[in-house]
Amino acid sequence: MTTTTDVGPPHAEVSSARVLARTCAAEWTRLWTVRATWLFLVAGAVVMVGIAAAAGSGAASDPEAAGDPAWVAAEFTTLPGQFAFLALALTLVTSDYATGGIVPTLQWTTRRTVLLVARSIVAVTVATAAAVLLALAAVLTALTASRGVLVLPADGAGVLATVALVVAAGSLLGVGLGFLLRSTAGVLVSVFLVMLVLPIMLPNLPLEWGDDVARLLPGTGAVHLLVGEIDGMTTSSSVSVLLVWASAALLLGWLRLVRTDANT
Amino acid sequence: MIEVRGLTKRYGDVVAVDDLTFDVRPGLVTGFLGPNGAGKSTTMRMVLGLDRPSAGQALVGGREMATVAEPLKHVGALLDPGAVHPGRSGRDHLRVAARTAGLSSRRVDEVLELVGLGKAARRRVKGYSLGMRQRLGIATALLADPAVLMFDEPVNGLDLDGVRWVRGLLRRLADDGRTVLYSSHLMSEVQQTADRLVIIGRGRLIADATTEEVLRGLGGAQVRVRVPDTERLFLALRQRDRQVRRLDDGALEVQAPRVEVGELAHALGLPVHELTEVGQSLEDAFVELTGSSVEFHGGAQPLAAAASEGAS
Repeated sequence: MTTTTDVGPPHAEVSSARVLARTCAAEWTRLWTVRATWLFLVAGAVVMVGIAAAAGSGAASDPEAAGDPAWVAAEFTTLPGQFAFLALALTLVTSDYATGGIVPTLQWTTRRTVLLVARSIVAVTVATAAAVLLALAAVLTALTASRGVLVLPADGAGVLATVALVVAAGSLLGVGLGFLLRSTAGVLVSVFLVMLVLPIMLPNLPLEWGDDVARLLPGTGAVHLLVGEIDGMTTSSSVSVLLVWASAALLLGWLRLVRTDANT
Repeated sequence: MIEVRGLTKRYGDVVAVDDLTFDVRPGLVTGFLGPNGAGKSTTMRMVLGLDRPSAGQALVGGREMATVAEPLKHVGALLDPGAVHPGRSGRDHLRVAARTAGLSSRRVDEVLELVGLGKAARRRVKGYSLGMRQRLGIATALLADPAVLMFDEPVNGLDLDGVRWVRGLLRRLADDGRTVLYSSHLMSEVQQTADRLVIIGRGRLIADATTEEVLRGLGGAQVRVRVPDTERLFLALRQRDRQVRRLDDGALEVQAPRVEVGELAHALGLPVHELTEVGQSLEDAFVELTGSSVEFHGGAQPLAAAASEGAS
């Protein structure tokens, strides 16, 4: 403040691409400067590596497991582990509303679509990268713990792509719901319902339409892709249902963000 | 320069800001005055692009803030100092802001020193006092060196040193040629610092003038004087176009400086039995101005009415 004599507005408008890049950098810093991010990653690591270690040592004493691929550890550990990454992504959005921090955030980035895009990019990239790395760690843990019983065929690495797809779609859903509902508890409950509770519960209820509705939920798609065949689901229907939910949540979240006041 | 044009904000049937039009000029400290609930914060939020106007518009340097690429370089603002993630350090909070404007961490450290938070910079905001949060908010506003600054009740929670520091800062910022708007619900607070006043009540503009003009328009100095021959002094003051009022106890209440009244009495050969300043009355005048515009009156009258209704 001491040396400034030129107090006019900025001379040249920076490009939209640069604004987006700067907003991504800001979101990156925002993500790594709170403890919650690290706690979610540790939680994800404990769950995934822990389950893989248990499964691997179980396989070590199971003659029937001989020659099974360790890659499956990536998939069945992601099923519970994904919630740590979804929580990481959605709290990047909802903690801003919980603390009132959304007010300065929207003062610094007044172009709200830019904020939504940058935050989605950062949250989804970090959640997905962490999930893939920890899934790989789970695979190697299971392999090591099985003392040679499990094997690691090179062509099995495609499971990591499946993990990436499921976690990317799930975290996008979390970000979208975050902007739509704005409350951490509300979004967490919603994500658990559509990703876990309803897909398990509905088919087991004495309802004619239970299965039909369950097949429309993203959690059913995730389970089908990760751990097994679900009647009436295909790979493409699973991918579609995940992407449709993620896109719809993001669209609704975007509408609320751009059409309403900052935090009222 | 801030230009507010026909700005209106409705929440359902409630009109929070009602067709406001005023300019805030560069090089001056402008006080934004009004009782609590008058619509000051809502107006500031609309200027910043945080809330959408129901009608009208607000421009900063000729631009609507909702669409600019680098808002921090146009306008720096402190609204609610509590609206910060408590788990982040003050420095990290500023680093996030700096990144949106393409600024370095060195600039972050500069403004932290400037507001006196250098030592606490790496502590989490959770442990900050209200005064420290105010300083953090002010640091954020100054970060990108904007030409326009807005502060919502910036001295709340500051100790006396802090209050004087803020007043000095506002003055320096205006002397640099910046546009400075700061709000308060206390007349006594803004009259110390502001060159101009924008006064609102119930969302409507009540006054937009220099502090001098507002003070004069509101009556300025008032004195109470008691002399043996009240009538002579009364007429003499009237001849000078001074507003005079007879009080029940025989004294006069005059809107004029004390010296003038004393000298006039002397010139008339009247012994003065009492000559008192009846308060600067700015606070009273402010209440008078905004009185009809106060949104939340004390419950005395409605309660009395309700009681009598209940009795009948």
